[in-house]
Amino acid sequence: MTTLEDPVRTAKEAIRYCYEQGWTDGLPVVPATVDDVEAFLATTDRDPDEVIGAQEHLNRRVTVRQAAVNAIMAGCEPEYFPVVLAAWDALNGEPSTNGGAWQSTSGPAPLLVVNGPVRQRLGINCAGGVFGPGFRANATIARAIGLIVRNGYGIKPQELEQATQGVPGRWQLLIGENEELSPWEPLSVVGGLEPGVDAVSAMLIRCCEYVDNRHTESAEAVLQDFADSLARIGAYLGLRHSTGGLVLGPEHAALLADAGYGRADVQQWLFEHATRSHAELAAAGKAGGPGGPAETDEAFPMLPSPAEIPVIVAGAANAAISMVFRPFGWATWSGRSVPVRWSAQSRPTTLQEVSP
Amino acid sequence: MFDSIVDPTVGAPGDDRGRTSLATRPARLSGLRLGLLVNTKRNAADFLEELSALLESEYGVTTVLTRTKPSIVHPAPPEMLEEFRGETDVVVVGVGDCGSCSASAVADGLQLEAAGIPAAVICSDAFRVSADAMADLQGTPGYEYVTTAHPVASLSREGVRERAVQALPQIVGMLTRSSAAVAS
Repeated sequence: MTTLEDPVRTAKEAIRYCYEQGWTDGLPVVPATVDDVEAFLATTDRDPDEVIGAQEHLNRRVTVRQAAVNAIMAGCEPEYFPVVLAAWDALNGEPSTNGGAWQSTSGPAPLLVVNGPVRQRLGINCAGGVFGPGFRANATIARAIGLIVRNGYGIKPQELEQATQGVPGRWQLLIGENEELSPWEPLSVVGGLEPGVDAVSAMLIRCCEYVDNRHTESAEAVLQDFADSLARIGAYLGLRHSTGGLVLGPEHAALLADAGYGRADVQQWLFEHATRSHAELAAAGKAGGPGGPAETDEAFPMLPSPAEIPVIVAGAANAAISMVFRPFGWATWSGRSVPVRWSAQSRPTTLQEVSP
Repeated sequence: MFDSIVDPTVGAPGDDRGRTSLATRPARLSGLRLGLLVNTKRNAADFLEELSALLESEYGVTTVLTRTKPSIVHPAPPEMLEEFRGETDVVVVGVGDCGSCSASAVADGLQLEAAGIPAAVICSDAFRVSADAMADLQGTPGYEYVTTAHPVASLSREGVRERAVQALPQIVGMLTRSSAAVAS
């Protein structure tokens, strides 16, 4: 074999070609062929020409086929594609994605949460290192969404996308919920679906902040620790309340559940305790303007309502660590999960559904 | 060599958006009806209010219509455009000072021009790239607009007034220049 015929060399040149076209997010992509696209399209009953997203102001419309091309490029396997479509639909169903979010200076990142047996079937991580990297399905499905926005909508950084700094983990945040270690019903059940249904829930977020509390057996002390991060002034935008959510590590979730807290109780407690005084907001220059605290306010709620504080359980049960996250703008989770739908011939068999 | 690689940018076809011809400019502003299209960004309404006062006192226009867009990202809806068409002679649009609204302000300027109304669009200089990208997307590369220094949102009313004074000559030029405010 001559150097020219070396398939590795050819593969590298194909990747370089994709860079030259401006099709990548900075990392190498898998070049898509027509055969690949057919394999992806076979996993869904949807019309390849169905328009699944539009930015009318940019004159751009994304189709199922185009989503498949970008999912291939992101490194997905064909069987991931129905999850990509569900994730895309879930995002499009969120009011937060319909107001210029993809072009925003905030540079928000999708947080995609997967429930159901699809997690085991596709190897979607919901346990240790859940925020990644290291797991193909998590990494590539999340990345596919970013490539669809880039190549489908034509929204690229420093052009139509005007993120000031962006958000670490953008296009990388797909997590499975650790249903096996969660004391509560799956997020997708909160999102209106039956237990055991494969589903994706989506929101746009601006950051994740860890809360490390291995210091106490008191549920209220741990909740107070969360409330402190949730009430962070830097995340306060004024006008209306922006919100926060929790990805609880299984240890924190168990501690709260053992103390008798359901998900709604946790939300209620956090809403009541994530507060700031007028003086504290004033010291940061943020007390003025409509929707802000009265001068006498000692406990101004920093979150809009208990129901608007999403609570998810994910990660390993090896340390009492959780993550606070921040929905974009004044948005929260819509409370609607989207089921994953396979085509008849690609529907996984019972045998495949057994956890590895 | 790589013709077999599928292009990921090809989706459902967009509308054909040809180059927008600019509306015919009046020789002078005196006696004309001014419209203001506010895009909801902080200080946008104040900025246009200050401009309107200057255009009234120094150039003899009358401000007859002020409308605030329902969406920061989408161009003004058809019924709003119709109001401007029916009631105004020239329109000032602004202030594009964010990721999506600067581009959207350009789209508004172009749709006003297409409706026969001379328009001047104000964007902050930090968002030139997205404003220009929108002009390209709308088939009208080189579309000119007025820039003011970023930031606008954090200015006091006094600061806004100063900016309006600075922008005024360009606004007037853009609304009256017979050579049309777009580079070819």
